[in-house]
Amino acid sequence: MCLGIPMQIIEIDGYNARCEAKGVERTVSLFMLQDQELAVGDHVMIHVGYAIQKMSQQEAQSAWDLYDEMFEKMDAPEA
Amino acid sequence: MNSRSAKDWLTQIQQLDFPQAIKVMNVCGGHERAISMAGLRTALPTAIELIPGPGCPVCVCPEEDIYQAIQLALNHDLILLAFGDMLRVPVNVPKSQPRSLEQARAAGADIRPVASPLDVLSIAAESTKPVVFFAAGFETTTAPVAALVKQGLPDHVHLLLSARLTWPAVAMLLDSETAGFDALIAPGHVATVMGAEEWRFVVKKHQIPAAVAGFMPESLLAATYSVLRQQQSGRLFLDNCYPELVTAQGNQYAQQQMHSVLDVVDANWRGIGMIPRSGFELNAKYAAHNARLHYPDYTETVRKRQGQMPAGCGCAQVVLGKKYPNQCQLYGKACTPRTPIGPCMVSDEGACRIWWATGVRT
Repeated sequence: MCLGIPMQIIEIDGYNARCEAKGVERTVSLFMLQDQELAVGDHVMIHVGYAIQKMSQQEAQSAWDLYDEMFEKMDAPEA
Repeated sequence: MNSRSAKDWLTQIQQLDFPQAIKVMNVCGGHERAISMAGLRTALPTAIELIPGPGCPVCVCPEEDIYQAIQLALNHDLILLAFGDMLRVPVNVPKSQPRSLEQARAAGADIRPVASPLDVLSIAAESTKPVVFFAAGFETTTAPVAALVKQGLPDHVHLLLSARLTWPAVAMLLDSETAGFDALIAPGHVATVMGAEEWRFVVKKHQIPAAVAGFMPESLLAATYSVLRQQQSGRLFLDNCYPELVTAQGNQYAQQQMHSVLDVVDANWRGIGMIPRSGFELNAKYAAHNARLHYPDYTETVRKRQGQMPAGCGCAQVVLGKKYPNQCQLYGKACTPRTPIGPCMVSDEGACRIWWATGVRT
């Protein structure tokens, strides 16, 4: 529930944005970042569908790499 | 970005002297998951104990609130929405009754998992049935819930809020005579929203080293190194090892939204008890959307072990960092992810679930 996922903005429509991470697209809310300038191409940290902060592309990539590794382990069959 | 690699930080840590053992607590399920997955416990010198503390909102969600959600869904023609990992958390009822939201759903109640408060709006838009959103979470979840309310809820949507603040549980532990830890790694995304300054009391009032960490091994190790160095040098300060996202004051716009929608209230933590000013509730302006005021209170029914953890379950001690998951008598025996007994084995944020997922079997 609390897992933060970095995503890239691909389209902005009012308070909502279409975002992408590793080929998966989601509608997310930018409502909590109204006081920041956001543009298509920016990366944001998402918590339960809401962007909580802007981040760099490099930070987003590091997080994705770690998650790949973690989910691989989580999905491993239970002994 | 921390310029040093995880390996560099490990080397730095290994070069320190450890005249005595030091216990470093984290208070975030995401931190515990990253620590366990990266195998940091085995990589660090044995003198360093990494303790999972109160970092799982599902685990401390009052048993009464889950019971209330189950009863609302069973007794009213409504749609009950909850975050997915809440659905399997058991409450204490006779075996003849549904013990979880999942069992209530199997018994015919309209209970649906959601991944985001945004889902609440889309489900409500497609139905004229009343909707209750049972929202448990720490600040990272509560801020989006507040944003949802601020954006405007349809009249037929009510909130059953079990929102909690993270720092008061740490304050409660530190105010007790048996805090059980010597240093704190503060939660990176809570601090992203609420600001790092929220954790200054740990250093200032209690003289305990503290560092905010992100979720990469290098950030967690940087924070570990920081608190160890602080302790050894005696020069304590609040360090920020996640400057990429965390600022001193956090996301102030999000905080303003929270303050305009929510009151901070005394709140009950399952298995732990009441912690002053540790919860959020909708304020008077939004009372019309408060499910606690709109629906009957089913928690007045007297039940055996009401409010407590299940019999034999060590979740309360696990959440407070008093016991490691595998020190619970049920861990891996009666209680596994397939047949969870306590909430810490249900939630992805729960220390028991995380330890099991990373291969700790005994």
